[in-house]
Amino acid sequence: MTISRRVFVKSGGIALFSVGLDPLFLARAALGLDRLSPPSTALHRPILVCLFQRGAVDGLNMIVPHGDPMYYRERPRIAVPDTDVVDLDGYFGLHPRLAALKPLWDAKRLAAIHAIGSPDATRSHFDAQDYMESGTPGVKATPDGWLNRYCQHDREHQDTPFRAVAFGPELPRILAGTAPSLAIADLQAFGLRAPQPAARDRLTRAFEELYAGSATGLLSASSREAFEAVQTLKRVDPTQYQPANGADYPRGKLGKAMLEIAQLIKADVGLQVAFADVTGWDTHVNQGASEGQLAARLAELGQTLTAFAQDLGEKLEDVVVLTMSEFGRTVRENGNSGTDHGHATAMLVLGGPVNGGRVLGKWPGLDPASRFEGRDVAVTTDFRDLFAEVLARHLGARDLSAIFPGFTPDPARFPGAISA
Amino acid sequence: MKTRVLLLIATVAARVAGAQRAAPLTPRDSALHALDRLAYGPRPGEIERVAAAGVLRWIDAQLAPDKIDDDTVARREREFDVLTYDRGDLARLYADVQRERQERKRMGDTAADKPDDSPTALKGRRFAAQVQQLAVVRAALSERQLYEVMVDFWTNHFNVYFAKGADRFLTPDYIEHTIRPHAMGRFEDLLIATAQSPAMLFYLDNWQSVAPGASPPFPLSARRREGQGVRPAPKGINENYARELLELHTLGVDGGYDQHDVIEVARIFTGWSIRRPQQGADFEFHDWAHDTGDKQVLGIAFERGHGMDEGIQLLKRLANHPATMHHVSRKLCQRFVNDDPPDGCVDDAVAAWQRSHGDIRHVLRAIFHGPDFWAAANIRAKVKTPLEFVVSAARAVGAEPDTTPRLAQVVARLGEPLYLHVAPDGYPEREDAWVNSGALLDRMNAAVALAAGRLPGAVATLDSVAPVTADPEQLIAGIDDRILGGTMSQNTKRVIAEQLSDITDPVQARALAVGLAIGGPEFQRQ
Repeated sequence: MTISRRVFVKSGGIALFSVGLDPLFLARAALGLDRLSPPSTALHRPILVCLFQRGAVDGLNMIVPHGDPMYYRERPRIAVPDTDVVDLDGYFGLHPRLAALKPLWDAKRLAAIHAIGSPDATRSHFDAQDYMESGTPGVKATPDGWLNRYCQHDREHQDTPFRAVAFGPELPRILAGTAPSLAIADLQAFGLRAPQPAARDRLTRAFEELYAGSATGLLSASSREAFEAVQTLKRVDPTQYQPANGADYPRGKLGKAMLEIAQLIKADVGLQVAFADVTGWDTHVNQGASEGQLAARLAELGQTLTAFAQDLGEKLEDVVVLTMSEFGRTVRENGNSGTDHGHATAMLVLGGPVNGGRVLGKWPGLDPASRFEGRDVAVTTDFRDLFAEVLARHLGARDLSAIFPGFTPDPARFPGAISA
Repeated sequence: MKTRVLLLIATVAARVAGAQRAAPLTPRDSALHALDRLAYGPRPGEIERVAAAGVLRWIDAQLAPDKIDDDTVARREREFDVLTYDRGDLARLYADVQRERQERKRMGDTAADKPDDSPTALKGRRFAAQVQQLAVVRAALSERQLYEVMVDFWTNHFNVYFAKGADRFLTPDYIEHTIRPHAMGRFEDLLIATAQSPAMLFYLDNWQSVAPGASPPFPLSARRREGQGVRPAPKGINENYARELLELHTLGVDGGYDQHDVIEVARIFTGWSIRRPQQGADFEFHDWAHDTGDKQVLGIAFERGHGMDEGIQLLKRLANHPATMHHVSRKLCQRFVNDDPPDGCVDDAVAAWQRSHGDIRHVLRAIFHGPDFWAAANIRAKVKTPLEFVVSAARAVGAEPDTTPRLAQVVARLGEPLYLHVAPDGYPEREDAWVNSGALLDRMNAAVALAAGRLPGAVATLDSVAPVTADPEQLIAGIDDRILGGTMSQNTKRVIAEQLSDITDPVQARALAVGLAIGGPEFQRQ
């Protein structure tokens, strides 16, 4: 329903400000066609949700190589005991506090990619996050983020203000750039703020008239999008949202962000790319093993992802959740029962289109001779190969080299996270 | 001297008149334009004052900031106690926060996500907020408006990131002692000052750049703890600073250099480092780390054996290179004239650069006195950045921001958290970076909150701007005149009048009308 209404709005609205930009796009938009999918699936638009685990998650305690004695030798105090690990394939297993995810694994909706990371050797959080978000390891001057560049080059949804949304107070580097993207700190507070709904509606109308009558150029186009978004959200009414299927999101920023993402997905407002942060992974001190600091963070992550999958129900078939983190941590525990900055880590992909139930990527082993600089898990999958695969096979991105400049994505190197 | 100035004014007036034949600007229009571009917008009554004094005379006065009395800001600065801390003091404070946090973790306080509310941590956060708010206060209240605009320009041109490691305590010093003293001096001096600033050396990693195989004469390589991570000793040259120096600070991306030049520049800057990076970090040249071979940049030979002076000579050459003049002039014209800078403006600026050997005041004077600055096509052609919007709004309603970080928070909310642009290119100047649906709604909200007095710490003094009146037409005319400088469209007048029609409380009506005017489309432009 919503989509067909939007298609009319789209063809009408676009004529006012960007006619001639891309006739093919206009034609597709007007017909509601998506290049990669038949017209009947227009309602099933693919959606990507990215979660950034800021601080460098310890991949080895998230997806545990419990079949490797070296893991236990190097981590006498913080290794997850073999008896606690939720086994996945006899060699790898989930941290016990991620156990809630096991049914999704068994249903082939969840996969992990191990030994993934950046070709750049930096162990600085700042630089490594910057590179993972710009999508250009080693190049600092890249002005925009790779998710934004995707939006610049594939313009299918460009007139919906909810196409690319970061849940947080500021737009992250990954979404910085010339393609419109929204930062939403609180879905319920989006739009004009006023004490009562009546005052709020009145203020909204007044500003809408001001801009409709006097704004020029980009101010005019953007304000039209803004008021359309406000109207859309009013219809959705985020204050009344109830998660479906008994989904129970953990309290906290991550749970709130994922609940709001689920809400927007179900409201069919044209969300295609969503982003949220989850912090607290920089476990230098007292990291813990089956319980403790890292376990608490993983429990929140696991419960949130489970709730999100439950809440979406069948909608999960259109969605891929991708976790990422700037690097991994040292194989050997440090003197403070923690781990220091390392190299490769593990990432998760969850959703209907996922080729799940498998630990993907080439495992380099923990043997000191095969480690990076003798201490860290070596990178065998460039993070761009995974990101490029998700963009190409899930979102249908065409021009990957424009999204990852200086990198030639090669399907032969894709880790195989998305079902063919 | 006086005759020369008068002559100049006469010449410029003639050129200006020529350029404006299509749509002549009234003295008020000219004053508003100058106040929008050289300043953070007019304060109540300022358009009239500048128009009466003569806009070119006002511009020339702004070009000599040292001669402008700025007591108000000097007084306000004393309220910001972060200014009494040097970078060593701030480094110690930062180290204390880190140590206390480590200590608590060791004691088993494992709530990793909990905000650190220890007194030291709170003080650190208060100082960081003060640094951002101070920029807003100076922009809003300084009489040296053009100077503050230029400080913002160079802060972005020579961007550092406040939240990267040691830059948490190096950035305040960078703003105070690297950017501000040189903001209206010679470009060459500013360039050298940034190259030797601990904040830049840390931000772009040059402090770790050493000649391949070089090792320090003291056991630095015996891995020492630094902050939280263990860093191996530096391993070789780091090209980051060299690349950004050429691409962003000087020649520009099409400035005629190649990757080989980047490596040669990096070799020249090996050894430009900082002493005790976690304790205040003074600039220091490390002879042991310097690449002792011959180098060649852009075809110019830099003979071996000159140590730090090789870098100084290179910076001087770069500062006065034609590509640099063009690149920086273009950015200045983009800032002051149009997002797509006219060639004539750039040419005028480059010519002044050559004549004055890179005296920034002369370059600016050439831009402001050039026909492009006054051309009808460039009047109200730019959209305000978030900082410009917030500060111009505060000025328009006579709000005097205090030391609480409210206004800086609004600037951040609108997308421009100060000193927190990650990439070295600084915050963008073009409107498409700032105008999007979410940011526009936030501007409207900020305008309504400011007009309604809901931003404590920046209270509007509306009585002096738009006195309370029961006559809506008079109110709207006053707002048009005093806040929008006469640019209010018929549509805006009509919409505001409609909104006022059923509001009986004149104070409430005034707040709504001012909020709509500042949040409306006219006020977003300059």
